[in-house]
Amino acid sequence: MRHVSKIGIMMFVVATAIVAGCANAPLRTESSTAGIRAAEEVGAAKVPQASLYLQLAKEEQELAKGLAAKGKKEEAESMLLRAEADAELSIVLSHGDAEKSEAIAAVERVRQLRRDNQ
Amino acid sequence: MKKLKLFILVSIVALFAGCATVAPNELVNARSAYRHASDGPAEQRVPAELHKAHEALVLAEQSFLKEPDSYKTKDLAYVAQRKSEQAAALGAMADDKAIKDKANADFQKKQTEIVKQGKQDLSDSEKRTADARADRDKLAAVKEAKDKSDADFQKQQTEIMQQRKQDLIDSEKRTADALAELAMLAAVREETRGLVVTLSGSILFRSAESNLLSSAQVKLDQVANALLAVRARNLIVEGHTDSQGSESYNQGLSERRANAVRDYLVQRGYPSDRIQSRGKGEGSPIANNSSPEGRANNRRVEIIIER
Repeated sequence: MRHVSKIGIMMFVVATAIVAGCANAPLRTESSTAGIRAAEEVGAAKVPQASLYLQLAKEEQELAKGLAAKGKKEEAESMLLRAEADAELSIVLSHGDAEKSEAIAAVERVRQLRRDNQ
Repeated sequence: MKKLKLFILVSIVALFAGCATVAPNELVNARSAYRHASDGPAEQRVPAELHKAHEALVLAEQSFLKEPDSYKTKDLAYVAQRKSEQAAALGAMADDKAIKDKANADFQKKQTEIVKQGKQDLSDSEKRTADARADRDKLAAVKEAKDKSDADFQKQQTEIMQQRKQDLIDSEKRTADALAELAMLAAVREETRGLVVTLSGSILFRSAESNLLSSAQVKLDQVANALLAVRARNLIVEGHTDSQGSESYNQGLSERRANAVRDYLVQRGYPSDRIQSRGKGEGSPIANNSSPEGRANNRRVEIIIER
């Protein structure tokens, strides 16, 4: 009886420690941070539409940190998903203008060549 | 197919959620964004990205079924919207790239055509230039030949003119010499009918006769030589008498004497078709028949050299 009780107590203590540890683990922002940095490196801040989503990503990351500080870890992690998604969209949109401009320029180049040689 | 599945899912969600549960704005926006993306070029150009968007939307819908108003549902819907927008943007970029690639290919093709045409034009131009040069050289050769021919002709003409001038000079000299000689042999005077060489009848014939004296032949030889030295001209030999005797007798005598002189000159080589003879009888006296001197002068033969 005493043996079983000791094991039980030990297991309870370990379980409590695990739960407490999980509750107090720091917020994992690597993914969103990497996305935001990547967006900055490709010059998203200079492309109007891309800079909007970059800004949103940063704000959402800050909101997530705030939620984590209040103990709302799951909410914080969910907010980080938003930040990641916005950072990814910002990266895509930062290339979009360039592709469009290049396409327009290429089409115009062909038209000009045809006009010059009519 | 995916659209159909999504429609069914949304319908089920609506059914289970009941009329009282309204989808959050994030989910409404996510659905709209997905529809927009799948209607655009994303389905053809970036199907994997569109699939990710679809998966995200399904998660959001499933969360909505369980927890319609939760932050998790809203966040998942927000993420799904972004994924759809990302797919749409990537589809548009892929479209732009395809347009750019096609335009570049067209540019290359057109440039190649232009270069090819340029080479052809150059080749044609060089050929035309070569042909033009050949034509020009041909023309130059023709012109050169013509110029040479013209020059030769001019030279020939000049030579001919000079020769003719010289011939004329020579002829005039011969004529002058012949006239001078004739003047030494007989009386020579210029009249409207031509140059008249008068030979005295007494030198040529015995009285009342029409046979030439030997001495007359010598003189007539000299006259013939002088006449033959120049260009042959038409001659008329006229016999004249004085008024002694009858007219008919004188006419006959003058004719016979004219014929004798003509025949002699023809014998000496004067062309027969260029010499005529006629008798004038006593009808053209040049002196008075009342004196012996006058009658002697009237008894004559005239050789008229026509102009």
